[in-house]
Amino acid sequence: MTIARFLIAAGCAGGIAASLSAADPVKTSAQGIYTDAQAAEGAELYQASCAACHGAALGGSMETPPLNGKWVANWSGKPMSQVVDYISHAMPLYAPGSLSPEDNAKIVAYLLKANGMPAGAAMLPSDPAALAKLRFDVARRYEPKP
Amino acid sequence: MIGVGFGRRDMLKASAALGGLAGLSACATVPAARPTVFGRRASGKPYLPPMRMNVDEIVDVKCCIRPFRPQGPRLDAEPLGDTLVIHNYGHGGSGWSLSWGSAEIAVTKALSVLPREVAVVGCGIIGLTTAVAAQRAGLKVTIYARELFNRTRSVRANGSWTPDSRIALTDPAGPGFGDVWEQMARISWKAFRSYLGLPGAPVDFSDQYSLSNEPIVRREHPSDATIADSYATKGLPQQESEFGHYADRIKDIIPQARNLEEGENPFPTKFARTASQMHFNFGSYGHLLMQEFYAGGGHYEMRDFHSPADFKTLREKVVINCTGYAARELVRDNTIIPVRGQTGWLIPQPEAHYGFRYNDVSVLSKSDGVMIMNFPPNAGEMYGVNDSTEIPDRSDIEEGIRKVAPLFADPMWRA
Ligand SMILES: Cc1cc2nc3c(=O)[nH]c(=O)nc-3n(C[C@H](O)[C@H](O)[C@H](O)COP(=O)(O)OP(=O)(O)OC[C@H]3O[C@@H](n4cnc5c(N)ncnc54)[C@H](O)[C@@H]3O)c2cc1C
Repeated sequence: MTIARFLIAAGCAGGIAASLSAADPVKTSAQGIYTDAQAAEGAELYQASCAACHGAALGGSMETPPLNGKWVANWSGKPMSQVVDYISHAMPLYAPGSLSPEDNAKIVAYLLKANGMPAGAAMLPSDPAALAKLRFDVARRYEPKP
Repeated sequence: MIGVGFGRRDMLKASAALGGLAGLSACATVPAARPTVFGRRASGKPYLPPMRMNVDEIVDVKCCIRPFRPQGPRLDAEPLGDTLVIHNYGHGGSGWSLSWGSAEIAVTKALSVLPREVAVVGCGIIGLTTAVAAQRAGLKVTIYARELFNRTRSVRANGSWTPDSRIALTDPAGPGFGDVWEQMARISWKAFRSYLGLPGAPVDFSDQYSLSNEPIVRREHPSDATIADSYATKGLPQQESEFGHYADRIKDIIPQARNLEEGENPFPTKFARTASQMHFNFGSYGHLLMQEFYAGGGHYEMRDFHSPADFKTLREKVVINCTGYAARELVRDNTIIPVRGQTGWLIPQPEAHYGFRYNDVSVLSKSDGVMIMNFPPNAGEMYGVNDSTEIPDRSDIEEGIRKVAPLFADPMWRA
């Protein structure tokens, strides 16, 4: 890990820790942070607003990044608030910010599901403060042997 | 081209033709009239240098087995103890063509578990491309294989853009496969385009001619109702119509064929159809990819794996399995059906930069030689199915050369 990366990682971790009390432990996307129903609605929204560029099956193209695999690598370790915030401001590219916060949360729920993250009992919130208490991460990292 | 190819006899014919307009004294002004005959014989046919079809110029005969899976290539991720194995094998007769798109899918799966480093097992066209694609995605890569690229089955292919050749059977692959195939084909096509125009022509285009004395029609695959059995009942395809064809999905970017008009046909056959086709030159392309792999900090370790448990002994905990036909043994995947094929090679004839199919023989002039494939009459996708004899047969190539030699016997070619 480079020093810069270490600092960013430490900064993020610090930010998350600061926003959480001991009684309110951070939950990760590997622990069920959206509902199946929410993801199903998100799937429809995805097809309508995102699939034209990112592909019906999230595979992307030579020009557009895929929203499977690489998307996980790009966001892991970050608070969910950043993930949803990015999509809310930057997407869809042809009309950034045009979707409601609830719809953005549904689309992210769908992306989590499509990337193998489990569903849970509670919906993915759209409120930034609540999202900041959730972290994007995988159940398990396949790190090389030291 | 005119300097090399425009023969003296053509010139005389051209002048004679012009004579009707301007008289023979027009010879002095022929250069002005050249644009009308540039690149064409006086007859109006486009100029093509003849190919030498000489059995004494055979330099190689290579035999190979296509790793055909009725379900399409295996691309799933399989946890094995503390290791995640991502499979990327079983590309039939389309491994070259789909290499980049298939690598993209495998690497994407790897990225989803944040590995930092990955092992790629196998260094054929699938393994090497996957390794480079993983590096481009920021991962550190080691290739483990028993042979490096230039000893693999991949360099015993034909090496043309044939993305839906023996890639799947329609039914076992299911309706969803078309989308996956299309994604692989589109990404591969764009990736290969970035290698066009480079020194040594790692990727190239040339005109391909279908030649016949019968009108040439697009090949259809109607099912033969007298054949009751199928892959479902026998575990092997029983007829041509079972094979999946997906090429129409990418018609918008692939050059399409057209029939040549009477007089346009440079060959002595009644009919000709032509299309430009992309092909891969094994030598320069393999070299370039190996170079990129090493320049990107890649390591290679010679290693022979005997069972999937061996994957767990690797330092890397994400392993992409690109072992091609050998996966049948290594991971006991009996869904892989061998499909035998062989190519013969004449010495390179770079001046004849085209290919053709005539009399059930395919010929393609490539930078590392003129490739010959000989087929029995009306052979289609069923040819070679379930044949795992990987022994070259030179006499078959000699026969192929004899079958096409008459094309160039006409003195027109020597004019
Ligand atoms: C006659 C013929 C013509 C063809 N023409 C075309 C064409 O025109 N266009 C096209 O797109 N495709 C074509 N193909 C298909 C294409 O060649 C294959 O799909 C492709 O070569 C498969 O590549 P691969 O990397 O999966 O396998 P391979 O090239 O077989 O590579 C396998 C690699 O795995 C390694 N390996 C295997 N087992 C082990 C083990 N147990 N331990 C360690 N290492 C191992 C090998 O050493 C090798 O490095 C043709 C095939 C044939 C036979």
